[in-house]
Amino acid sequence: MKGGIAVSDTFSDFTQAIGKQREQNMGLMEKLLVAAQPGAVYSEPVSSGNYMIITASEVSAGGGFGGGLGFGTPSTDDEVSGDEGARPQRQESRGGGGGGSGGGGGSAGRPVAVIIIGPDGVDVKPVIDATKIALAALTALGAIVMTLRRMRKLSHG
Amino acid sequence: MLRLQRLIQSHIVSGAPLIAGEATLTPQSHALIVRWPSGGFIWNRPVAILVERGAQAQRIPIRDLTRIVQLGLLGLSVVCIIVSWLHMR
Repeated sequence: MKGGIAVSDTFSDFTQAIGKQREQNMGLMEKLLVAAQPGAVYSEPVSSGNYMIITASEVSAGGGFGGGLGFGTPSTDDEVSGDEGARPQRQESRGGGGGGSGGGGGSAGRPVAVIIIGPDGVDVKPVIDATKIALAALTALGAIVMTLRRMRKLSHG
Repeated sequence: MLRLQRLIQSHIVSGAPLIAGEATLTPQSHALIVRWPSGGFIWNRPVAILVERGAQAQRIPIRDLTRIVQLGLLGLSVVCIIVSWLHMR
C-alpha cells in the first residue's frame, strides 16, 4: 500500500495548492468588485474658480481563473522473481501527476459625461466618442449600400 | 431563481454626497455584476446625479450619447438587412 499512500500524499498536496490558489483568486475577485462602486465611475471633483468639474465614466472589468490536476495510472506492480524458493519481491511504483492553474482579466473605461457645477447650477455635458460612432456609421452605411444594390438588382432582373 | 440572483446582480448604487456651495450632489451609478464560480464580470455606468438645494431635489439623468447613437445605427443596419431579406422573398 506504499504506492497508494504516495499517491494520496501527492493528491493532498495538489488539492492544498489548488485550494490556496482558489483563495487567492477569490481575493482577486473581491478586488475586482471595487469597480462596482460609484467611486470607480465618478472622478474626484476638480475645482477651478467658481466651477467644479466631475467626470462620469463607464467602467467594465472581468476576469476568470481555473485550475486542474490529473494523475496518470500507476504503472503495474512488476513482480521480480528472486531466487528459487525466495518470496517474490514487489517493485513499488508511484503514479505520475500534475496540476496547474491560471487566470486572466481585463478592465476598460470610457468617459460618458462631464458634470459642471457652477454658480448657474449643475450642467451635464455628454462626451462623444467620434471613433466609435464613425465605425458604427460605416457599418450602417455598408448595410444600406448592400440593401440598395440588392433591391436595384432584383427590380432590374 | 435565488441562484440566478446570486449569479446576476443589478442595482443602482449611490455614491458619497458632495457639497458644492448650497447644493448637495449625490452621484448614482448602475452596476451589473455577473459572477460565476471561476470568475466574474462587472459593468458599471453613471445613471444620474441628484441635486438637493434646501427642500428642492432634482434628478439630472446622465445620457450616454455615444451608446445611443451606436444603438441607433445598429438598429438601422438591422432594419436594412430585414428589408433586403423581405425584398428577396
